[in-house]
Amino acid sequence: MALSKTSTKAEAGRYGVLIVLSIYCLMPFVWLLVAAFDTNAGLFLETPDSVSLNNFYRVFAEEDGLRWLINSLIVCGGATLIVMLLSGFGGYALSRTNAWWKRPFLYSIILIRVIPPPALIVPLYQVMLALNNGMRWLVLQVVPREHMRDVMQIVGFIDGYLGLILLLATMHLPLALWIMKTYFDSVSPEYEEAAVMDGATFGQRLRRVLLPLAMPGLAASGLFAFIACWDDFLVPLTFVSSPELRMLPIGIFSAFLRANEIDYGLLAAIAIVYTAPAIIAFVLARRFLVQTFGGGLKG
Amino acid sequence: MGTIVLNQVRKSFGGHEVIKGADIRIEDGQFAVFVGPSGCGKSTLLRMIAGLEDISGGEFLLDGKVMNDVSPEQRNIAMVFQSYALYPHMTVAENIGFSLDLKKTPKAEIKRRVGEIAERLQLTPYLNRKPSALSGGQRQRVAIGRAIIKEPSVILFDEPLSNLDAALRVQMRAELQELHRSTGATIIYVTHDQVEAMTLADQIVVLKDGQVMQTNDPIGLYKEPENTFVAQFIGSPKMNLFPAKVESVAGDVVRIRTDAGWPIDLPAIEGLRAGPVQLGIRPESLTLAAPHEPAEIETRTVLSERLGMETYISFETGGEPGIARVPGDHSLPSGTPIRLAVDPSACHIFDNDGRAIRSQSA
Repeated sequence: MALSKTSTKAEAGRYGVLIVLSIYCLMPFVWLLVAAFDTNAGLFLETPDSVSLNNFYRVFAEEDGLRWLINSLIVCGGATLIVMLLSGFGGYALSRTNAWWKRPFLYSIILIRVIPPPALIVPLYQVMLALNNGMRWLVLQVVPREHMRDVMQIVGFIDGYLGLILLLATMHLPLALWIMKTYFDSVSPEYEEAAVMDGATFGQRLRRVLLPLAMPGLAASGLFAFIACWDDFLVPLTFVSSPELRMLPIGIFSAFLRANEIDYGLLAAIAIVYTAPAIIAFVLARRFLVQTFGGGLKG
Repeated sequence: MGTIVLNQVRKSFGGHEVIKGADIRIEDGQFAVFVGPSGCGKSTLLRMIAGLEDISGGEFLLDGKVMNDVSPEQRNIAMVFQSYALYPHMTVAENIGFSLDLKKTPKAEIKRRVGEIAERLQLTPYLNRKPSALSGGQRQRVAIGRAIIKEPSVILFDEPLSNLDAALRVQMRAELQELHRSTGATIIYVTHDQVEAMTLADQIVVLKDGQVMQTNDPIGLYKEPENTFVAQFIGSPKMNLFPAKVESVAGDVVRIRTDAGWPIDLPAIEGLRAGPVQLGIRPESLTLAAPHEPAEIETRTVLSERLGMETYISFETGGEPGIARVPGDHSLPSGTPIRLAVDPSACHIFDNDGRAIRSQSA
């Protein structure tokens, strides 16, 4: 009797601690949500006088919010697509080959993840600058000088979409390759052989057998790549200078730095806009992530 | 039609030769079984016939046509994989109909033929299920359905029963025989299980280290093994092999004395001369002799395994213990003196290289 009483008390105590901790962890998110809809938001959490979309209106109308969002989506979407494509084919090849260089290769690419990006930023900038000069020369051959700037914003390696996309894709490809290689290790080659025996061409095998089987792996590698690009601050900070190419994290940062008085409502609204696509990406990927294919094989 | 001929077929991976010149002929409509220990090359041989592995040397003919460089889908050969390899993202109906769908067969036609196959394999209630919602036996039947819908002339099975439980295996063996009867297709079946080989096959090909050791029907292999490998691989428990010497050849009788000192008189065999040989006696050719009966082998038991209807008696030979399979239940503690009688007509003589020595007439 006494024992059960103390254990109930202890249980209540444990839950109490957990609840306090959870509230502490949740508070910043609650503040973000409340402040984003409060025109007079301050540093401290308070009940807003009225709920309004005014902060969001200002993000898109007064600030360049829409452009930042679109830039982020283009760059991260492009990088994610490249990562998924290359990690899909590359992971498949790495899983199926028995070449002697397989292990050294896998370990050496993961090194790219080990080296902290800020340590590489100067040499990387030099490489990108050289590529950019090369691209500028190439563009000059085909495009009139007055359109030069517009074109370079798309295909440039510095202050251009292409450079950002390729750079981010390169940074996040190694992990995706590892994920896909490990994933394909678990996909029996007998599925493809069965498809060969059924008369499937290479294209049919890829589209109707391999791709559906690879979806959970691709969703995982794509999600990780997208989130990593989306969160990246250093690359857009270093390689973008034109305001037209500015991405969301730099948008928040500049809004935070700009005024003498910090506009908490506006910052919260940008943060919400910044968070939403990441959550949507997660929800989209989750459907495939939880998809488990069992039963095709024996045992 | 599905007559298969392999002429000196070879396969190398890198510098390593895994199939070393196989000569095999399988008649149309036969149920052939490739059997051998793991690593003997039986699955590789099957995959070469399927077209999943290319042939490094020699010829593979199907109905007289060389198939070495014909792509798998044009060979009219179907295969049931060891793992079944059912497409997990497709329903049973989609799995069975996949090959027709790839050929752009009209939807209604696919539906009709899938329906027929499902009816035949008792899969109709499960057509809309995914493979994950099926039992082992049902998955096996889907894999078979996927193979037979193509109406192939040859169906290949790669150890299809290896992961099923004992009861289901017996049932599936019966279903496979029924399938063979109803389709009339040539079947090549790979297994390491000699019981499966004996019960299913019209013709067994015994393989070892990439070489064909012997090809014959099951009883032929059991009664007339050409070498010690086949002799010991077919039959359970395996055949006893005793090192022995031919002591004398006198008229119709050959006297052989094993190294353990047991004298055994056998009917004369052409070409058998005095000298060292190996004497093969199947465990079931040994019987416990009553005290007054003559017996060739006098020894002690090592172990007796009582199965109720019969007893496996391991006995001392001076080397690796021998084994006798005697009817009835016998309680013989380790070390019990026993006398065993040998059936001389069921003895096998092998030379020191392991090749059988037997009369041409036998």
